[in-house]
Amino acid sequence: MNLVVDGIHYRYPSGTSALEDVSLQASAGESVAVVGQNGAGKTTFAKHLNGLLKPTRGSVRAGDWDTRRHSPAQMSARVGMVFQNPGDQLFARTVWEEVAFGPRNQHLGKDAITERVESSLEAVGLLAVREGHPYDLATPQRKLVALAATLAMATPILVLDEPSLGQDTEGVSLLGALIDGLVAEGRLVLTITHDLDFALEHCPRAILMAEGRVLADGKSAEILSQSKLLSSADLEPPVLLQLAAGLEMPARIRRISEFVAAYAERPPQV
Amino acid sequence: MIEVRDLTYSYPGTAAPALRAVNLSIPRGQVVGIVGANGAGKSTLCYALTGYVPHFFAGSMSGTVRVDGRDIGKVPLGQLAAEIGLVFHNPFNQISGARLTVLEEVAFGLENMGVERGAMLPRALTALQATGLEHLTERSPYSLSGGEQQRLAIAAILAMEPSVMVMDEPTSQLDPVGTREVFAVLRDLARSRRATVVVAEHKLGWLAAFSDRLIGIHNGEIVADGTPQEVFSSERIDEWRLGQPLVTKVGRAVEVAEGRPRTGLLPVTVEQALDALS
Amino acid sequence: MNPLTKLVLAGFLLVLGLAVPWPGTYVLFIALILPLALAGRILKPFLVALFKLITPFAVPMILIQGLFWTGGTPVIGEGPLSLKAEGLLFSAASIGRILILASSFLLLSLSTRTDILMRDLVQRGLPNQLLYIVVTSLQILPRLQARARTILDAQRSRGLETEGNLFHRLRAVVPLVGPLLLSSLIDVEERALALEGRAFNRPGPRTSLIEISDTRREALARIGLSVAAVVIFVIRIAWALVS
Repeated sequence: MNLVVDGIHYRYPSGTSALEDVSLQASAGESVAVVGQNGAGKTTFAKHLNGLLKPTRGSVRAGDWDTRRHSPAQMSARVGMVFQNPGDQLFARTVWEEVAFGPRNQHLGKDAITERVESSLEAVGLLAVREGHPYDLATPQRKLVALAATLAMATPILVLDEPSLGQDTEGVSLLGALIDGLVAEGRLVLTITHDLDFALEHCPRAILMAEGRVLADGKSAEILSQSKLLSSADLEPPVLLQLAAGLEMPARIRRISEFVAAYAERPPQV
Repeated sequence: MIEVRDLTYSYPGTAAPALRAVNLSIPRGQVVGIVGANGAGKSTLCYALTGYVPHFFAGSMSGTVRVDGRDIGKVPLGQLAAEIGLVFHNPFNQISGARLTVLEEVAFGLENMGVERGAMLPRALTALQATGLEHLTERSPYSLSGGEQQRLAIAAILAMEPSVMVMDEPTSQLDPVGTREVFAVLRDLARSRRATVVVAEHKLGWLAAFSDRLIGIHNGEIVADGTPQEVFSSERIDEWRLGQPLVTKVGRAVEVAEGRPRTGLLPVTVEQALDALS
Repeated sequence: MNPLTKLVLAGFLLVLGLAVPWPGTYVLFIALILPLALAGRILKPFLVALFKLITPFAVPMILIQGLFWTGGTPVIGEGPLSLKAEGLLFSAASIGRILILASSFLLLSLSTRTDILMRDLVQRGLPNQLLYIVVTSLQILPRLQARARTILDAQRSRGLETEGNLFHRLRAVVPLVGPLLLSSLIDVEERALALEGRAFNRPGPRTSLIEISDTRREALARIGLSVAAVVIFVIRIAWALVS
């Protein structure tokens, strides 16, 4: 399913401008990182994608559904959103019930719900605690429950807001593998993050935002290696690209394996 | 000077101990990082070093924690606050809510300690300068950014002039700018050697760059204790689930690709990596 | 003026206002309360707030008591649609008392920073925890509102329909209120941890960064006002028992 954001502007009721002329076109099977400092407008932008916010100018379409003509609950069938703070949504007595909430709102049959809940919990590694209370889990695990809850809705488009925040190394790997898997299945995944190492590794495309505008949109390896551009958005290049730049290697690298291969091909240094 | 002897602790109502037979000795002024997977016991160790375990969290504890010779299990928490400070990961929840400006917030702890008025203002201002917040004295704490709020929490503890400062994942909720600001403050603290600093973190590259020593925790036990390079270069790093800075993984991957045996120490900072790879 | 003095003064005015026979409330208002508001330079906000507080009571009361006082003497208008004298008098008396009640409260709250009042009380020995509860309760509401909005967003994004009929809205309560309560409880624990670190529960005297002025004259005035309030109260009770 395609996502088309067409020149959206957004102004808060108070009058301050939050988004200026933001456009984007993304299709199924893409993994896109939306990067930028806090305050750049990333979360405001994300909220437009499922209709929580309606643009003051321009439009957002998921497939043929315009967000201005559907409620967020309706849009949730096509665009799944995972928020930053798990405390903003967990309420059920068991992890299982929590993850089943979304599919139930989709009016699925009992068997379908069970299948969805179990596969989502499996994907985040929490199947074993499905009968436990969500608040018995530590915060990083609760974030994964919130993620599973949205995964269970099996939406063609998925928006993740800072998924790696507060996770340890294994948690970050799990998330990375999850995103890679979802994209391979043909979904469109947008990851909002200020963790540029993560963005580089799992998102071939990056959109750089600052002060409500899009500064750049293209291949992440290219965009994230431009230190001047990044510093104008208060960011530093990911570690892998810093190494590549320091060793005068071409900046097509996104993963450690690619780095190692490029390093081996380096002309002998004098 | 922190001395932990044979510390075993379980949270109330849990069967498995969160910390097992921990022995640790930290000399005055050392800068120590704590690494380990979520649930390994980093936070619990931070609580134990600052008296929240056993005073706030009850549970069953055996063994002792001595700071400058005193067994902190025997000193009430309210009195410990003057000598030992703990900074948490959520900047917002550390705002006391009892004071309306940044300056008053920083002085709040001093007021509770009964410090006389003449001494309060200089101490508060020194702490604000150390954290780069001296231009924000009249602002409401709630109007600050996440990074500024976290630095405010640090300033509020610094003003109390503790001999030990412990921080439990201080940058986990912060963006890159906030992270940079907090680590800059930590680096200055480390350099000034004013206090013993202990920081638990997942941002391993940052931690490695400014710590003298790293302690690795796995399943409630200390499994590694050495310089950042020693710890992150260990062969058992995956078994212990401590993680490695990205540059260390790159260094190791290059070593493997070139068929070289383990040379010893892997890089843990970008500078070290560039040195090793150029 | 020292905040405790303001508190005692407000209390005194309240006792006086409730003790005097009803025409006295208006006299008190004009002779004492308005000049105090003027002296405190809060006259305009005071009158505005007072108007907003009292009008929703006063107007319906005058109308209802005036129109429906059984067997009353019409004074304005004629027949059933007239305002009866007894009703109007009753309203005047009640409104007079409400006027004093509201004025004392407003005078105090508009002229004093709550946290300064609480600091003064804590310095005099009031428990720290009470200060905390009062001052933070004032801040809780906007934070809860902001959080409630975020929770609403999250649940709508999971398909919770919040617009539409009553059934939908009722079903929405648990997924909205649940996270609000649960996450607030976690915040409370984290905040308690942070407060411990600021020696909040340390026994012993507190000092204050801000100098809160107090003079011997004010201390005497407080004693005087408190005694006067007690005396007035006793006289009033005695009078009620005798007549």
